[in-house]
Amino acid sequence: MSREMARSVKLLATLPLNILLNAILIIPFAIMIYLAFLKWSPAMGIDWWEAAFVGVANFVRALGDARFVNALTNTVIYTVSTVSIEFLLGLLLAYLMLGEFTGKKAVLSLIIYPLMLPPVIVASVFYLMFQPYGPVNNVFLRAVLGDDALRITWFLNPRLAFTALIIADIWQWTPFIFLILYSALSAVPRRLVEAAQVLGASSFTIFWRIRLPLIKPLIIVAVVLRALEAFKMFDYAYLMTGGGPGVSTETISLYIYRVSVLYTDISYAAAMSLVVLVMLALVIRLFIWYFFERVR
Amino acid sequence: MEFRIVTKALKYIVIGVFALWTLIPLAWIVSLAFKSYAEWRVSYFVPKNPTTDNFVLLFKPEELLGRYGVMGATAIIEPATKPLINSLIVTAATTFLAVFIGFFTAYGASRYRAPGPFTLFFTLLTRMLPPAIFITPIMVYYSNLGLLDTYFGLVFLYSAVTVTYAIWILKGFIDAVPVEWEEAAMLEGATPIKVVFKVVLPLVRPGLVVAGLFIFLLTWSELLFALVLTNISAVTLPVHISKYVGAVGQLFGPQAALALIGSIIPVAIGYAIQKHLVTGFTFGMVRG
Repeated sequence: MSREMARSVKLLATLPLNILLNAILIIPFAIMIYLAFLKWSPAMGIDWWEAAFVGVANFVRALGDARFVNALTNTVIYTVSTVSIEFLLGLLLAYLMLGEFTGKKAVLSLIIYPLMLPPVIVASVFYLMFQPYGPVNNVFLRAVLGDDALRITWFLNPRLAFTALIIADIWQWTPFIFLILYSALSAVPRRLVEAAQVLGASSFTIFWRIRLPLIKPLIIVAVVLRALEAFKMFDYAYLMTGGGPGVSTETISLYIYRVSVLYTDISYAAAMSLVVLVMLALVIRLFIWYFFERVR
Repeated sequence: MEFRIVTKALKYIVIGVFALWTLIPLAWIVSLAFKSYAEWRVSYFVPKNPTTDNFVLLFKPEELLGRYGVMGATAIIEPATKPLINSLIVTAATTFLAVFIGFFTAYGASRYRAPGPFTLFFTLLTRMLPPAIFITPIMVYYSNLGLLDTYFGLVFLYSAVTVTYAIWILKGFIDAVPVEWEEAAMLEGATPIKVVFKVVLPLVRPGLVVAGLFIFLLTWSELLFALVLTNISAVTLPVHISKYVGAVGQLFGPQAALALIGSIIPVAIGYAIQKHLVTGFTFGMVRG
């Protein structure tokens, strides 16, 4: 094949992607950066390209906005608590599932089914579970606390509402970490494990000293991907608590959604989006560097 | 020896507890979906008089008024028929477009190191960043273009944010096709385009299916973009589900029935591609 032909095939092959990315993501992206320096809302009755330029005013406002800081704090607390619990549970489960036992296949396919459910549906399910007369209060807590359990209103107490969100997240996404760690652990070469057994190492030592260090890169992939997903969290908060009571469970996604869609303060929402974008882009860049570019 | 039995028992207990914890919410939803109005607020799992009323109400919400009087009147919600059809159309079209574009890009990436690191990084970025970041500019842009509340608007956006999966999954499959086969076909006089369609495409068909099903799974579940970009005519199922939560009058039964309906397709698809879930979720970063 001639060199020109190769070049045209290469161009042709990536043309559809380039059209799509430019038309749907890159142009709006450019618009967003411009919007962030304007003062504009559709309610002003002018088009955005006619709006007044206000410099960094929107960014200054974001840094002083208690609700923005609150949403960021909530999101970080949520991310750290869900990911760490999910990691520990997922690792424990992956370890326990390593050996063979009867019914293992059935247990495996049961454990991973929450992964396939749309988060909207999981949110819907847990919204129903946590109703005052739902099974959480009426069956499980009643067994411990007696009739007092019926008076617990999960979504009216800031701490309990937050806990409910975390429980829903753990229910749905522990299988994600489990699945990655389980496939990684199963792929550890058997001869390494056998060699250690011959030398008299206990199964716990083998796990701690041989299997775990070998799958360290995958642990980091699983945790980072999960953390990025948890940071996006919108569905659970929007459906289960609506960010409430007050703004106690409002996440950054929910706050940006409200500012842009409900309060139609477009230029401010654009500025906040950019702040979050820069923060996350740094984290993601580091992650990609660590995985794809670092000389090992 | 005794210690061993204890640890073994402990292991089964932990696995059993976890299986139960996974199962209970599902059991509750199935039970609630078949309960009659009188049983929505009681906590036993097996309905005394199983009924399919909740499913009927989803598609004929005007019957709520006759059945539950004032409570139903304040909570009338559109029938679920249109959102269900919308979701099917949008998801199917997205799947097709994203796999189509992803296939060509993956071919370029596999054979010619195209489309360059920046574009690949950008597609990864779109998956990793919160969708909330994109909603503001997309909303403005779409309203200028007249794409709000249309199928096209949703399909283009969904394709742009899911095409990453098609690229990464298909690249692995195309890498496995020997270049020699393509060269042989070219020696026989086939054009490069013919080689792509007649040699490579049939060989990576399993990859197309996996990528397609994975994208279907993701698009079927998407809420935030649909919430922002649709209003009346292109409302998708997740948006419709969100209307039931906290609906005045708390329609627990129909809500559970809708959750059940909305989860049948994704769970079926999930099991079909079970083997590839790890690859899909990690964009092929995991080679374990």
